[in-house]
Amino acid sequence: MTVRSAEWMKRNSIPAQAGIGLRFQHHQAVAEARPDVAWLEVHTENYMGGGSPLAYLDAIRRDYPIALHGVGLSLGSAEGLDLGHLERIRQVVEHFGPGLVSEHLSWSVVGGVYLADLLPLPMTEEALTVVCRHVEQTQAYLKRQILIENPSSYLQYRHATIPEWEFIAAVAARTGCGILCDVNNIYVSSSNHGWDPSVYLAALPADAIGEIHLAGHTVRQLETGHTLRIDDHSARVAAEVWMLYEEALARFGARPTLIEWDNNIPPLAVLLDEAAHAAALLQTTKRADRARAA
Amino acid sequence: MPALHELQRAVYRSLVARDDDDATAYIRADGVAAAERLSIYRNTLYGTLINTLRLSYPAVHRLVGPEFFEAAAQKFIEGELPHGAYLDNYGAGFPDFLARFSPAASVPYLPDVARLEWAVSRGLHAPDATPLDLAALGAVGEGDHGRVRFVPHPSVSLLQASYPVDAIWRAVLEQDDAALGAIDLGDAPVWLLIQRLPTGIDVRRLSEPAWRCTSALCAGRPLEEAVELASGIDVSALLAEHLTAGRFIAFNITEPIAAAQALASVR
Repeated sequence: MTVRSAEWMKRNSIPAQAGIGLRFQHHQAVAEARPDVAWLEVHTENYMGGGSPLAYLDAIRRDYPIALHGVGLSLGSAEGLDLGHLERIRQVVEHFGPGLVSEHLSWSVVGGVYLADLLPLPMTEEALTVVCRHVEQTQAYLKRQILIENPSSYLQYRHATIPEWEFIAAVAARTGCGILCDVNNIYVSSSNHGWDPSVYLAALPADAIGEIHLAGHTVRQLETGHTLRIDDHSARVAAEVWMLYEEALARFGARPTLIEWDNNIPPLAVLLDEAAHAAALLQTTKRADRARAA
Repeated sequence: MPALHELQRAVYRSLVARDDDDATAYIRADGVAAAERLSIYRNTLYGTLINTLRLSYPAVHRLVGPEFFEAAAQKFIEGELPHGAYLDNYGAGFPDFLARFSPAASVPYLPDVARLEWAVSRGLHAPDATPLDLAALGAVGEGDHGRVRFVPHPSVSLLQASYPVDAIWRAVLEQDDAALGAIDLGDAPVWLLIQRLPTGIDVRRLSEPAWRCTSALCAGRPLEEAVELASGIDVSALLAEHLTAGRFIAFNITEPIAAAQALASVR
């Protein structure tokens, strides 16, 4: 096990500032330009091998705190966790010593097959028990707290009994995990299901919020006249989501905030511009908090 | 009310086998049909995996075009979903699938190009490993040389193909139509060694005996056995080339059979 100095730990902790999701397309630009952004987050699954991705991130992390965001652990699988995958995550965590480690409140694995999407869980007592067991197992295996992210979703199950916001708050309360509050996902799911996003935010325990995600989504008009919002991370953050982000900051205080972009990835400058907008709102929040404290 | 495992199997049947019966019964319609809601997830599932295959098989993608590639990938995915979330490991079976996929039969070298691309992809994603320390090898007594077994670098693989797929692969990825036109499909078979170097992926041709000898070494056969496969070539030079290029990361020395048996009887 790598021994890390207190100074290194401090340097690698994720500040309550704006960061961007780092994808392969921007490895070289970030390594060369060293842009002015407070921290970076990468997908854990993209660094499970060796070669050039690992070499780039090894070089980049000398100058930036790094957070790891997993998409594949499938915390909600009834059949239990894929221990091989959990071990691969542990190795990536050990290699990079990330400031934050997160996974999703969803499932992807059934019958040993990986369904390559973040599938929605039924919000039931059984699912809550399963998720809590897997979060505890993961935290024990990694020997650290993880954050779990609220998903975006396009369907609800008939037999659900627990509102999603109560479900995720209960997971945090029972397991001691943190919450990665994806404000875009709250907006998308609330729009798709007719929820009130303010009610959602109000139900989340502020102390447990370790990180906030922001991303763009698209609006799909269906032939039936209904609208579905699709969380495809392919655009700038929507104006309504920025407003909800301000509401989240007012409620939770300043939190590390990440701009995600995964499809039709634009030049790095566009991501930095989005991060600058988040940074300005974080500054406003911090000033307001200081004024209140004074 | 379905148990969680029942629900997850029903969603699996919907997304993969397009059998929506059970899953739709569990889902609230709320103005949008349950099947349409499920199709959003199905599209992401297939879109993600098709993209994964496109990244691993860029030359196949160029050779057959995007529409054909997507149709072939879709069929492949239906029969062979990933067994884990580490998707760099996904798609090993695609070359064999292409060999069985009759619409692709008009491009006879396609499966072999795909096999090369899989070896390249494995090479790109293989774990890092430190090449063998030559000083340690130098310390082996001359009498033990024949019993040395090597451990190959994880990025190294060996491929024999019935078409000049290395030339096809390069010309396709470089979009060099002149080079592609100049390829003689009869310039085969080819005996290839694929390896990740610090500068990028390296695909090179070996002679048949050098390839057979190298394959034996990479399979952990002792040097004296590998040498027997290398008729007519300079094995010392071949070995020196492998070591200089960092193709081995460790070695050990086979116990003589008598000693191994003696050891076994003591245990």
